[in-house]
Order: sequence, then C-alpha cells, then structure tokens
Amino acid sequence: MLETQQLTKKFKDTIAVDDVSLVLRQGESVGLLGPNGAGKSTAIAMISTLMKPSSGDVKLNGKSVLKKPGEMRRVLGVVPQKIALYEELSAYENLKFFGRLYGLSGNKLEQRIDYVLELVGLADRKKELVKNYSGGMQRRVNLAAAMMHEPEVLIMDEPTVGIDPQSRNHLLETIRKLNQDEGMTVLYTSHYMEEVEKLCDRVYIMDHGKVIAEGTKEELKAILSDQETVLIDFDQNYPELFTKLSEIEGVQQATAEEHSLKLIIPKGTRLLAALFHEAERYGAQVVNVNVQTPTLEDVFLRLTGRKLRD
Amino acid sequence: MKAVFLLQWRRFYRKPLLVLAMFGLTVIFVSVTAAGGQSGPQMIPVYADESMNNQQAQTWIERLNGEEQFQFELMPESEARSYVAEGDVSQAVNLLEADYRLLVGREDPARFALDSFLRRIYSEELRLENAEQTTPGIRAEMESALSDPALTLSVESLQGEEDSFQYNGQLQLLFGMTLFFVIYTIMFSLVRIVDEKRTGTWSRMIISPVRKWQMYLGHLGYSFLIGFSQITLIFLLFRFAFGFELGDRFWLLIAIAACYTFSIVALGLLIISLITKPQQLGAVIPIVATGMAMVGGAFWPIELVTNEILLAVSKALPITYGLQALTSVAVYGNGLKAVAIPLLLLLGFGSICMAIAIRLMEWRSAS
Repeated sequence: MLETQQLTKKFKDTIAVDDVSLVLRQGESVGLLGPNGAGKSTAIAMISTLMKPSSGDVKLNGKSVLKKPGEMRRVLGVVPQKIALYEELSAYENLKFFGRLYGLSGNKLEQRIDYVLELVGLADRKKELVKNYSGGMQRRVNLAAAMMHEPEVLIMDEPTVGIDPQSRNHLLETIRKLNQDEGMTVLYTSHYMEEVEKLCDRVYIMDHGKVIAEGTKEELKAILSDQETVLIDFDQNYPELFTKLSEIEGVQQATAEEHSLKLIIPKGTRLLAALFHEAERYGAQVVNVNVQTPTLEDVFLRLTGRKLRD
Repeated sequence: MKAVFLLQWRRFYRKPLLVLAMFGLTVIFVSVTAAGGQSGPQMIPVYADESMNNQQAQTWIERLNGEEQFQFELMPESEARSYVAEGDVSQAVNLLEADYRLLVGREDPARFALDSFLRRIYSEELRLENAEQTTPGIRAEMESALSDPALTLSVESLQGEEDSFQYNGQLQLLFGMTLFFVIYTIMFSLVRIVDEKRTGTWSRMIISPVRKWQMYLGHLGYSFLIGFSQITLIFLLFRFAFGFELGDRFWLLIAIAACYTFSIVALGLLIISLITKPQQLGAVIPIVATGMAMVGGAFWPIELVTNEILLAVSKALPITYGLQALTSVAVYGNGLKAVAIPLLLLLGFGSICMAIAIRLMEWRSAS
C-alpha cells in the first residue's frame, strides 16, 4: 500500500536519513524503532509529504506522491510528536477546524467529531480548553485530530512521550483497536520497546539514519536465537567484579546497571561456576540470577552496541 | 482558506485583548490629546517685555496675524503665563526686539510648526528692516509691487495646489496615531504564523489537502481585515462621535486605509520571514513601528523635518505615503487624482514585500 524506496535526506553535511526502504501493507501495524536522533521523525516527515527527500521515492499504491501529494494527504493521518493543537481553543473547536481542512462540514463534521471524541474518551469534556487538559488528554486530542478525516493509514511519531501511564495505556489500546477492529494501517514510531512489542506485527530498526534490521518480532528475536540473556542481581555495585565477569570467555555483550549485570552469551555457555567463583573472590553476594529469552531491546543492543534510550 | 480564515476569528474571540487594547489606546490617545486641539487656527498668547513698547508689539501682532495659520493675541505677561500654567494652551510667545522666546507648558507637535512659522516671519521682517536702513522706502515699494505684480505665476502639481503647508493638529494626531497603533495590531496578528510553525499546527495544515497559498491567504486575510476594521472604526468614531472634520470624501479615506493596511500586512510578513522567533519579534515589532512612525510623520508633520537623510528614509516607509494621502484628502480637500501616486506606491511596496516574504519563508522551510 505504502512504500519508500531508498529514501535519503541530507542537511548540509549531515545525512539524517540514508537509503531507507520501508513497506506498509494494508491493515498491518508496523513499528519504526530507534533511539533519539536515529532519523525516524525525518523519515516520517518525508513519508507524510511534509519534507522533500534529497533522493528516493515515496509511493502510495504504486504511484509516486512526491510531485502529486494530494492523494497521499487525503488517506494519511499523522499524529506528530509535538502536541500540535490550538491550546486557547476547546477540543471540539480544534477538531472542527481540522475536520474543515479536509472538507468536512455540517452533520457529517459533527458526527465525526462525536465519534473521535468517543474514541479517545473525551466526549464529556469536549468544551474545555485544550490548555486546561492534562498532558495525556492533550495527546489524546492530538490523535483525535489526525483521525477526523477517516484516514486509511495512521502514522504516529512517538505519540506517548511524556504522559502518565493511564493515558498511555488508553492511547495504546485505542491504536490497537483502530488497527485490529477497523483494519487501519499503522506506522508507529517509538523508542519505547514495549509499546512496539505490544502494537506492531513487523518492526524496522533504525540507527544513524539507516534501517539496520527489519522483520516480524519473532524474526528479529531470532537474530539472538542461539544466545540467551542472563540477568544477575547483586547486593550492591561491584564495578571491578562486573568488568571481570564481562571478560569471561563467551560473553558477547555486558551491560552494568547499578546492582545488576546483564550478559548476552551463547546458549550452553557454562557461566554459573565462573560467576560464583568470581563473586566469592570479590566478597559479593548474588541475590538473583535470571536467564531470559532475548527481547527486542536485546536485539537493538546487539545490533547497535547501545541502548534505545541512550 | 475559509477554514484557516474562520479559525483566526475564533482565536480572536478567545483572545481579543491585544486588538482591543490597540483600538482603545488609539481612541484614548487621540481623544485626550486632540480634544484640546482645534481644527481652526490655534490661539497663541503673546507678551512683550520692556525692550519693546506697545506700538511695536502691536505691529508685530499684525504682521504675525497676516497669515491664518495661528491666531496671536497680545496680552500682559502674567495673563499669558496663566494660560500656559492652567493648560488652556500648550505654549505662549515672548516677543523681543529682534528675537522671540517660546514659553512651553507641555509637549505639543504644533510647537514645531509655531517655531518654524515665527522663524520665517522674523527672518523676513528683520531682513526688510536691514534693507530699509540702506534703502529708505523699500518696504512701501515692495508692498506696492506685491499688490500689483508685473507677472503672475500659478503653480499646480499632481498633488493639487498645496503651495503652503496647512497644519491641522487634530487630524495630524488622529491619522498619525491610528496608522501607528494599527501596525501593532497587524504585525502581532501575523506573529500567529510563527507561532503555528513553532507548535506544529502549520505542519498539520501542510499535510492536509489545503494548499499553502490558501493557508497564507487565510492568515493574511484576517490580518488585513482586523487592521482595516480598526482604522475604519476609528475614523467613523471620530467623525460621528467626536465631530472631527474629515472632509467630504470619506470613501477615499477608507480606500487609503485599505492600501495602507495591505502594505503593513506585507511588511509584517517580510519581518516574520526574516525573524522567526516569537521572542525576537516581540522586540523587533515595537522598534519597527515606533521608528516608522517617528520618521514617517505620525508623531509630527513630515513637513517640519529638514534633515535630508531622514526625509530620504521616510520615502521608503508606507506610513509616510499613508499619512500624505490622508492629509491630502482630509486637510487639503483633494480627490483621487491627487492621491493616486501615494496609493500606487503603497500597493507596489506591499506587493514587493509580500513576494519577497513568501519566497523567503518557502526557501527557509525547504532548507
């Protein structure tokens, strides 16, 4: 339905997006995962026709949208990272304006406003000014504004940044409903791994402007299928011990965090004996040892050598 | 375009304070300051000190009242001082034998006109007195020659027969302050474009089916209308409620207001295309508005300015042409033909500014 071909954006000497090719099939939910500065927002700006690429193409149903963006703009709903609303107006007035931009009027406009307000759970507070809403409520209106014209594809650029857990859950549940119950195609950008794991069928991982991996969640985790993650908790922080343990033969990745150490090792590696031996030498008490199957976070760590939120 | 235009009115409805403040300030400023002014010749108390006898003083009064710009009244010094002290007049004149002094009670733009008038009359009179010492009877000869000239020269220009500067304090204040305060209203309404770009609503509009020119037109249409309405309402208010004499061609004043508003909208757009941060605009707009008003003749008549540099700068400012056209119609009673050039200059200025501004904004957003 929607694809990008070798999309590239250069700003003077910086390449923000480098040769990115994505595919969104009708009805699927795709995650675009990457740390801050990975190029996700720039890629979205180009897909949504807000910014022209330096090279490459964006196609909707096989047709390029770069010269004629009209059709793309009609089928696309974009939820920006910023809360792009008129805060001195009410939610109802904001939605009325965004609906009018898409040619809605009269009863149809009113019905659509009622529907999206119901969807985001703000029907009973529609007359309140946006500036008086909580951050989470503002995010919900931000989503509702993108939904006014019944878009076929919904692109969301980190829609849950800075909101409380309750609003976040509400928002994620709304997006899940839109995708699964209404068949809306979703491109979801985030650096929150658990959101992408919860919502998306397929995932593209971006770093330094490039797509470094793509596939279903299972396919991506299979990158680490011959490995396992061992999480060891200690009674306190032992920097020297952590360094020693990360040098044990077979350890592929080690990440220390206060009282704990996360190691990625090949399956079948005999680690425990060496672990307890070294712990005793340093007088450290092992509180907990947990062997996990890899998460997308581990995949990202393995591919880039850094954490998503670095 | 309609959606963007209507949205601006909805936002005005929610936050009307700035526009109402500018409207209110114009009304208060003009009504308080100009209420003391007169549309006819201004009365100026005059007193002479011991260096001049009563006969000499009377001669000077006759000479000064030979032109209708001011009405000079001779009176004792104490009475003249009392007029100034009580605020009935803003200034009085102390006649000296070969010079004069102004007794100023409060700042009044008419002071420049009075000073300029007195300097001219004194200079003429003293030159004539000097000439009489070497050529007795020259005064009578000159008066006779003036009453029966050998040659009559008639001068007309495209601007009408403005062969002498007429100062009308009330209208100078009304036009000057109205055109000055409306700059704030228009430019601060245009700051919304910068604000929309900052908050992201501008991007939201770009990715909707609305075209970019429609977005600009919605914003500019609102700014134009709010500025134009402000000028029109103020003119109506002062004509009908305060009884200001605005001439017989009110429709032409409204047409001038429209051209001026267009040029200020375009200038505002150019400024926001150059300066993109709302905080910086908050500082730049007052500087531009006040600077333009000072140099362009909103605070005092441009005719009183003699500095060549300032006069040259004033030629590049829309407020100069706006005031020139309004004064031409309301004070000198001229018609469309006389103000065609200032109006074309305003429209041309506006078109150039707008073309540059939109190109600049698009270039910025593309890069």
